[in-house]
Formats: sequence, C-alpha cells, structure tokens
Amino acid sequence: MPHTVDVSSELLILGLTVVTALAFDFTNGFHDTGNAMATSIATGALKPKTAVALSAVLNLVGAFLSVEVALTVTNAVIKIQSSDGAPIQSLMGAPLLMIVLAGLIGGILWNLLTWLLGLPSSSSHALFGGLIGSTIAAVGMSGVNWFGDGHKLGGVMGKVVMPALLSPVIACLIAAVGTWLIYRITEGVSKRFTETGFRWGQIGSASLVSLAHGTNDAQKTMGVITLALIASGHQGVMDGVPLWVKFACALAIALGTYLGGWRIIRTLGKGLVEISSPQGMAAESASAATILASSHLGFALSTTHVATGSILGTGLGRRGAEVRWGVAARMVAAWLITLPLAALVGGVTWWIGHLLGDTVGPVAIFALLVGLSSYMWLRSKHDKIDPNNVNDEWTDMPSASKNAVAKKSVTVGAADTTASTGTPLGSTPTDTTSFQTTESSKEVAR
Amino acid sequence: MNNVALALDAAWKVLAAGLILGAGLPALFAVGVRSMAYGSGGDAEVDHQAPHPIGKLVAVVCFAVVLAAIALGITFIVASGFGKELSFEHIYPILKDKG
Repeated sequence: MPHTVDVSSELLILGLTVVTALAFDFTNGFHDTGNAMATSIATGALKPKTAVALSAVLNLVGAFLSVEVALTVTNAVIKIQSSDGAPIQSLMGAPLLMIVLAGLIGGILWNLLTWLLGLPSSSSHALFGGLIGSTIAAVGMSGVNWFGDGHKLGGVMGKVVMPALLSPVIACLIAAVGTWLIYRITEGVSKRFTETGFRWGQIGSASLVSLAHGTNDAQKTMGVITLALIASGHQGVMDGVPLWVKFACALAIALGTYLGGWRIIRTLGKGLVEISSPQGMAAESASAATILASSHLGFALSTTHVATGSILGTGLGRRGAEVRWGVAARMVAAWLITLPLAALVGGVTWWIGHLLGDTVGPVAIFALLVGLSSYMWLRSKHDKIDPNNVNDEWTDMPSASKNAVAKKSVTVGAADTTASTGTPLGSTPTDTTSFQTTESSKEVAR
Repeated sequence: MNNVALALDAAWKVLAAGLILGAGLPALFAVGVRSMAYGSGGDAEVDHQAPHPIGKLVAVVCFAVVLAAIALGITFIVASGFGKELSFEHIYPILKDKG
C-alpha cells in the first residue's frame, strides 16, 4: 500500500494514538484494581481508599521495574512487526498507526463495557482482541499470528487461548488447596486470632499481586506507544523505550488503579464468594504464585483470569462456603467473548477510520471513542458503586432491576453497619450464616 | 496442535511451583498463626489453654520464613526487570544475567 501522507496529518494520528494508548493503560489500571485488592476490601483488611492507594503506588513502582519492555508485544498475536521490533515496511507510517489506534479503541470500549456490567474481563485480551480485529480489517486473516512457530508457545493459540483455559484452573486448584490447609491448620484457634493474623498475610500477598501487575501490564502499553513512535519515524528500533513513555504509562496505570474499578471490585470481592481473611490470603497468594511462576516460565496469562480462579478456589476449599455459580458463569461468558468482540470493535473502527481517510478518519474514530466512553460513564451514574457501597450485601438480581437493587442495597448496607438483628433483604440462608459469623467474630474481637 | 502440548507442559510446572509457593507458604503462615495462638493461650484458643512460650518462638520462625520467601519474590520481579534472573542452581538463590 503506497501511502503519501503529509507530515502534519501523520503527527496528528501519532498524537491521537499516544493519547489513546495512555487511555487504554488507564482503563487497564482501574479494570484490574480488583484482581489484587478486592479480597482485602471485602474482608475489611484495608479500607477501600487505602487499598486502591496502596495498589496504585505498587503498580507505579512495578511499571518502572519492568525495564525489560517488550518492544515486540504485538508479535504474540499479529504480524505488523518483525522479530526485532521494527514495523513491517509496507505498513510504515500512517497505515500502522491506524491499525494500532483502531485496535486500542476496540480494547478501551470493551474494557469500559465490561466495567459497566461489573465483569472482570481480561484487559490483555481486550487489547489483543482489538489489535487482531484492526489487523484483519487492514491486512486480512494472514496478518494474524494464529499458532506461532510451533517451537515455543506463540500466536493467538499459545499466548492467549491456552493460557486463558489453563490459568484459572491452575489458580483455582492452588487457592483451594491453600484454603483447605489453612482451615485445617488453624482449627481450634479463636476467630480474633485468625482474623487479625491473616489480615496481615492478606495485605502482603495482595501487594505482591499489585506489584506483579504493574510490571506485566504497563509494559504492554509502553511497547505499543514505542511501536507507534518507530512507525512514524520518531524513534529508532534500537533506542528502546523513551523515558517519557515509561513515565506516562506508569502514571496512567497508577492513576487508573487509584480511581478503582469499584463495580469490578464489588463483583470479585462480594459477588463470587463471601470471603474471610484466611480465604483472602489464600486467594492472593495463589494469584501471586501463579503470576510469578508463569512469567518466569514464559507462560503469558491474564491477571484477571488468575485472580478470579483463585477467588473461586477459596470458595471451593472452605467447607460450607457458598460459591455463586451464576456470577461465575457470567464471568466465564465474558472471558469467552472478550477477544472476538474487542476484535469486532477494533475491525469496525478501522473501517470507519479508513473510509474517512488519513486525516479525518483518526479524528472521527477518536471522537467516537470519546463519545461512547462518556456515554458509558454517564450510564454508570445510574447505579453508582463507589467506596461507600462496594461492600454492601450482594443481591443477585437480573440487570433489569439493577437500579432498584442499587437503591435497596444502600439501605441494607446501612442496616448492616448498625448491626441490626434482622435478616438482610434478598440474602440466601448461607449469606445469613456468614453474616452472623462475621458479626460474632467482631464480638470476640471486642 | 504443538501449542497444546507446550501449554500443558508449562501448566503443570506452574501448578507445581504454585502449589509450593502459593499454597505451601500460606499454610506455613497458618502454622505460624496456630503456634502464636498456642503460645498466647487463653482467649486465643477455643479451648482456653495455658500459654506455651515455645509456640511464640515457632511462630516467629514461620513468619520469618514466609517473609524471606516474599523478599525473594520481590527480588525475582525486580531482577527480571533488569535483565537478571534468580537462579537456584546452587540451592540458595543467586542473581545472574539472563541466559
């Protein structure tokens, strides 16, 4: 594709791509706060605001620690770069920028939609999905790296599909074993002791997950921005990631984390399983161990899948704990469609941008992103979830009556804090028991 | 289909390492909490036994091992960021350049 684009319009699309990449990094942060902190918030080990602040700082630190940035981040799933990170010659300049911009927009829109629905879907799947979609639209199916080279894990199959299938199961098993062991070992110890002891363990293990998240996820955006800089001729392949890109990405992911995706935190911390401190510690330790062991072995995985698997596992490992399989099924469904749907959005976005041309196109799709994002943000105001109601009793209702539930759950939450003796509305018998045990454990603590 | 075999191969290694670190360490921490309760006695335990000072000592050892493992974990993250890796070829961990 021979392209003659004037310099100013290429600068424009580069600018938009960088801004959009940082916006993606920001959504990546708030989408994943819950992976590390949901359990600590749910058990009260940390106050909601303290938890997100701690996680944000650790993500910031983590982002700087990941000096070994994957310049070749896109190579896992698509073929727009060569193995040394240089963009493919025929795509140099505006065509590659358009692919990246459209892909990022696909990723952001999918992240925001799942956030609105309170579903912890994978940010890396959203990013890869968006890029795959825009690449298919621009280059065709041959532009996608489906299977890798066959010698090591690679391609969509090896880097995305297989890890997504296996990692939640692995994390779930580890967390279940950990939870079972913890409960066996601490039998006969009073609640006061276990609760305070395991709170510390929980904070420590959750911090480790946050740090690992910063090192893993921020570098994806760093790689994408650097690719855009190389493609537009502002940066040599050998120069690595510019310092300002590192700073900007680290800040974006930390700010996103600090904002806190409260809707997702609530689903992970309260929706899936009613969590106690020992379970929280088992879950976060399982997550941290799985993430670290995997990155050591080159097994690419999504923090989200691991965290969700771990939390499920703690529900399975503790006798009498209730796992809400309906919530779990909804999450799994979201995982399955994340990649294809982000791809669809990425592809459609690329087409819109392409049809409108190299100057109007990028501006138009960026405007589309801003418009849809604002809409979803306004939509989230209808049933706001924030630090004040993130831990309210979980009421599992169809989304049609969500608004009513949101209002009701506020009153239920108020009743909880005044320790009323009545059964919370809409809670199942198991809910009530766990509710009472926490109350009685507080009694012991006093 | 090579990817399936490769993924399963990586998966069981992750599972093995994860079980030791992700379930073993929390279990050790639980042993620490258990011994601390044994050491404190009274209200710390359901059966209100008398305190056994040795329990506190065992607890401190358990917590120290867990802390050391976490320190190792952080070293691992930092090291891989700086192009080094944690090697256990001499049993005790050392840092070396990535091969």
